Amino acid sequence: MPDFIQAPLIILFSTIFINNFVMVQFLGLCPFMGASQKFESAIGMAAATTFVLTIASAASYLVETYLLVPLNLEYLRIITFIVIIASLVQFAEMVIKSTQPLLHQVLGIFIPLITTNCAVLGVALLNVRQAHSFYESVIFGFGAALGFSIILIMFASMRERLESANIPLPFQGAAIHMITAGLISLGFMGFTGMD
Amino acid sequence: MDLVLNEFTEVILGVFTIALLGGATAYLLSFSARRFQSDTDSVVGDINRLLPQTQCAQCGFPGCLPYAEAIVTGEAINLCPPGGQDTVKALANLLGREPLPLENDTQHEAATIARIRESECIGCTLCLPACPVDAIIGAPQRLHSVIEQHCTGCDLCLEPCPVDCIDMIQVTEASAQDIVGTVMLAEESLKQDVSTTECIGCDLCELRCPRDLAPQALYWERKSIDRLEAIGLNDCIECQLCDKVCPSQLPLTQIFTDAKALSRQRKTEFAEAERLKRRHQKHQARELTRTQNLRSRPSKSDRSAILQSLTKQHKDAAEMRSGK
Repeated sequence: MPDFIQAPLIILFSTIFINNFVMVQFLGLCPFMGASQKFESAIGMAAATTFVLTIASAASYLVETYLLVPLNLEYLRIITFIVIIASLVQFAEMVIKSTQPLLHQVLGIFIPLITTNCAVLGVALLNVRQAHSFYESVIFGFGAALGFSIILIMFASMRERLESANIPLPFQGAAIHMITAGLISLGFMGFTGMD
Repeated sequence: MDLVLNEFTEVILGVFTIALLGGATAYLLSFSARRFQSDTDSVVGDINRLLPQTQCAQCGFPGCLPYAEAIVTGEAINLCPPGGQDTVKALANLLGREPLPLENDTQHEAATIARIRESECIGCTLCLPACPVDAIIGAPQRLHSVIEQHCTGCDLCLEPCPVDCIDMIQVTEASAQDIVGTVMLAEESLKQDVSTTECIGCDLCELRCPRDLAPQALYWERKSIDRLEAIGLNDCIECQLCDKVCPSQLPLTQIFTDAKALSRQRKTEFAEAERLKRRHQKHQARELTRTQNLRSRPSKSDRSAILQSLTKQHKDAAEMRSGK
């Protein structure tokens, strides 16, 4: 397989399964627990996060390479990225609201919530640390978002089933969700070491 | 000194960069806010505020906001019966259009209002939340009524009513029909026997029943003897206590007595049918053994063999007797 196809595939596979952001790196746990009550809202959250994560990793790469590095301002990286991500999310919400009102209605509150999703900042910072190129950064962000989406949707479906399951009283509510999340995480640990 | 200056310029650079970046994104956002938040939104909002927010869908759109959006794209402004001519005027002022007379859509040739047929209302309160203008008054298990001045004739209360006791009547005839209707109702109620009034589901009979039956449930199921027996018809001792407490004065005990008679009749009929069935089965069994016996008769050759052996025995016996 030629390298320009293989390398992105490796990054994708690695971010989705081996280094899954939620289950292995424990980033973005708040929406993972918060937005997974219902299957539909989980899908909305997943779609919005995918959009923002991909754009944000591209934008943060551009700012890092063409603004911070030439000016020797790497120590301002985090605050810059936060500004970039927050404004991108706002921008995305505006565009979606005016062009796709239906989608905006579905995603609703989730879009501004993504600003506080640590996975977004995490992806931007990891891109810098692993010295990704522009394309690698975009694919890394997209893969991270896909991994997040898979986990979120999977967990939402599980929670819908847990609703009707006969759970012993001490384990009801958050407890069983934590246990479930832990078991999924254990499962994903099984990918560790794959290359 | 040089070092301090360097540090200083570096800090200034950082501050400027962040400020510039922030300014740029702020400008981008405000620009896109103006670019993407097109003015249709505010017009839709203005129109929507003028509409009565009854969400009655008489305009042909699912609610007031969809109608407001449709007006922006060129829909007529005179399709809102609850808003009336005032709304049409206000919309015409806002949009600079000609204030047309209010259009009555094809379903409602004239303005209508809802009227509850009070003898049939069971007091379920389901129509109360459906009314967008809170024009229906009532409480659980109490009679409901429509405040006619407030009713916009939107039909929304018809659908939730479980007993279909709400009529849409034309406003112009309302007053006339009111009198006629009342007279007719009075005449009807004189002619009607009490059994035509309805159970209001008040539970009083259930509380009173000495055998812990549910007389109202028995009343609801009065058409089906099977179900009546399943919920304890034959435990009824016909004490008439339920009759005394029933606010609708339903002849409950009479109904139960009749049903029990029917039930008994059905039981005897059933027993008779059972007896006949058993008799028929016995008859069938006898028939079966008879035909089987017929089939197991000795065949012709067997019979001749039996005959021969019998003759032989007979002959031997005769010889033995003569030989003696």
